[in-house]
Amino acid sequence: MSVNPKVNILMVDDQPAKLLSYEVILSELGENLIKATSGREALEYLLKTDVAVVLMDVSMPELNGFELADMIRQHPRFQKTAIIFISAVHLTDLDRLKGYERGAVDYISVPVIPELLRAKVSVFAELHRKARQLETLNRQLEERVLQRTAEIRELNSELQQRVAELETIMQVLPMGVAVAHDPECRFITGNAALSDLMGMKQGDNLLKSGDGELPYDIYQNGQKLQPGEFPVQRAAANRELVGTVELEVRRRDGQMAHVLASANPLFDDSGQIRGAVGVFFDVTERKSLEDILRERAELLDLASEAIVVHDSAGILSFWNSGAEALYGWKREEVLGEDINRILRTGFPVPQKEVEAPLAAAGRWEGNLTHYTRDGRELIVASRQALKLGSRGRSVILEINRDITAQLQAEEALRRAERLGAMGRVAGIIAHEINNPLEAISNAFYLLREHPSLDEEARYYARLAEQELARVAHITRQTLSFYRESQYPVSVAISEVLDNVLELQSRRVQLNGIILEKVYRTAGIIQGFPVELKQVFLNIVGNAIQAMPQGGRLRVRVYECIEPSTGRQGVRASVCDTGSGIDPEHAKRLFEPFFTTKETKGTGLGLWISKGIIQKYEGTIRFRSLRFAREHATCFSVFIPGTAFGQKQELTVSLAAS
Amino acid sequence: MISDKPVILCVDDEENPLILRKLVLEKAGYEVVTSTSARSAVEIVSSRHVDLVLSDHLMPGAIGTELARQIKANHPTMPVILLSGVNEMPADAGAVDVFLSKAEGPERLCEKIAAALAEYRKPRSTP
Repeated sequence: MSVNPKVNILMVDDQPAKLLSYEVILSELGENLIKATSGREALEYLLKTDVAVVLMDVSMPELNGFELADMIRQHPRFQKTAIIFISAVHLTDLDRLKGYERGAVDYISVPVIPELLRAKVSVFAELHRKARQLETLNRQLEERVLQRTAEIRELNSELQQRVAELETIMQVLPMGVAVAHDPECRFITGNAALSDLMGMKQGDNLLKSGDGELPYDIYQNGQKLQPGEFPVQRAAANRELVGTVELEVRRRDGQMAHVLASANPLFDDSGQIRGAVGVFFDVTERKSLEDILRERAELLDLASEAIVVHDSAGILSFWNSGAEALYGWKREEVLGEDINRILRTGFPVPQKEVEAPLAAAGRWEGNLTHYTRDGRELIVASRQALKLGSRGRSVILEINRDITAQLQAEEALRRAERLGAMGRVAGIIAHEINNPLEAISNAFYLLREHPSLDEEARYYARLAEQELARVAHITRQTLSFYRESQYPVSVAISEVLDNVLELQSRRVQLNGIILEKVYRTAGIIQGFPVELKQVFLNIVGNAIQAMPQGGRLRVRVYECIEPSTGRQGVRASVCDTGSGIDPEHAKRLFEPFFTTKETKGTGLGLWISKGIIQKYEGTIRFRSLRFAREHATCFSVFIPGTAFGQKQELTVSLAAS
Repeated sequence: MISDKPVILCVDDEENPLILRKLVLEKAGYEVVTSTSARSAVEIVSSRHVDLVLSDHLMPGAIGTELARQIKANHPTMPVILLSGVNEMPADAGAVDVFLSKAEGPERLCEKIAAALAEYRKPRSTP
């Protein structure tokens, strides 16, 4: 569309010369000039084309100017078409002209002044052009309005579809969604999942129930919440997001659900609160799984075994209380560390031979040596299982049970059995030796005194007799102990000790030993004096032998209650400041044939002593402390005071039953 | 001639120990009668004067403790000393007055015999 399109100007005159002169005058305007020589022809043009201005002569034959104007005006299309009459002015004509005043009518009197004609035509042409432009614009506007309306309609229907989709999504969403439709949250609806969760019908106001009481309660950290404290209400009231909170929904029908809830306020265009939206995620199952897992973890912690989890490189990811107790390492100290480095694992076979079956069969069992935090060596029965963890990482579950004490006990039992067997064999041998020994002793006794012997032969006999005495000593010690009478008598331990000390008094003096005696009680028990004397002879003898360069010998007797059993009895202790006991020897002290006295001892003294004290249901123990300047060794014997009385009662009651 | 030496009946199934024990006791001033079985020992005690019986414990036939019971049944005041290679006094030694281990040696044997004889003479000498 050009900026200034030409408009049509219709010139009507029955005289072609006039038409021609108008044409000349108006050609300057640069518009389209249409010539019509009659009213009829003019009408035809009008109907065919859009005419901006009609320029017509009033006096024309057949159909004059006024008649033509009337006809034009009758047509609705041309009511506003501009008409310029050319005529001599008559009063009557002027009146007529007024009749056309509604429309755009003008007149030019004869003689025509070209500038005037041009100006008037030009004004109307311009008017017409503007009108046309306005029309076009109008039309275009209308088109655009239509187009927009269509677009809006389309958008609207799309929006409706979206809303419907959202509705559907909300309804099928497994997550509970609540929408508060007013700022005060008086009306809250839930989707299917939420209504179901709360035990209500979908579409119902979640805060209203038929009988006035809600079918659910909401708890947080065990505290029942009022409706105003629910997340949706809080979001609306505080105009802010309520972050995830953990809630418990307790329904009146007894069902319970754990939910994670969060809520967001809804604002309208002016920024005013118009409601809120809440999301509720049912985690009941996850929660119960968590509970199971927690229980499992607690069980793992209750286990006395060390239960640990590590990867194939030994890097620890789990360490239970049992492991803490067993190894002395706290969880936080070892997680992320290499188990084999921390525990200095000793494998019974090359480590590869442990890893190979673990990888192939998923299991390995065997004993390992480990070191505790404070450096104690442990032997553990280890069971390991390879598990394919999540994300393709494999982990090794390891359960270790401390069997150090068990192995030691087994070893001790084996040793005790071995020693017991040894003792029995020794007893049998000693018994067999006793018979010929008596005969030989008698023979040498007779030989020694025989008058036919010279001094030299008597000397030999005496030597032989002395050595025989040693044999006799061994057999006496070896055989289970010798009692002179069958029934126990009252024995004062203090008297037995005095007796022993009297026997040893020469050696005490010779060695320069200071003797301290502390008798808090006479220490009377029921027993056999000879065997008790042997016990203390052994203990005191050892103490004196341990102090060749002198020292202190302290002998005490007192009544006491044994802490471990609560039994009442007599304790006698013999302490010396002699050479002390080598820790290496401590374990073997009560073994038969164990001696530190090289050829001088039989190695049976303490073994026999222990056997005797055990017959009294007593205990014998020792403690040796080694200091820089001197050592202190203390042997202590406990004999329950009423052991024999009880034993007799027991026998009687057994017999009675 | 009637000797005033105490008479000891020595019982043992083994000959050498029996002879040597007899010699030791004779040297200690006792008259010694020997027997190699419990049965003959019971006969001897019934047939002649004996002051004390010294018996081995383990013998074929009746053992020492059994012998002691048989003797005490007829001669309750007869001291019986049981001599054994085992150091522990047997449980059924109720009739035995003194139990002695063979490992004790001749001197201790003589001491015990003397003590037992003295013990039994006391009540007899009182009236």
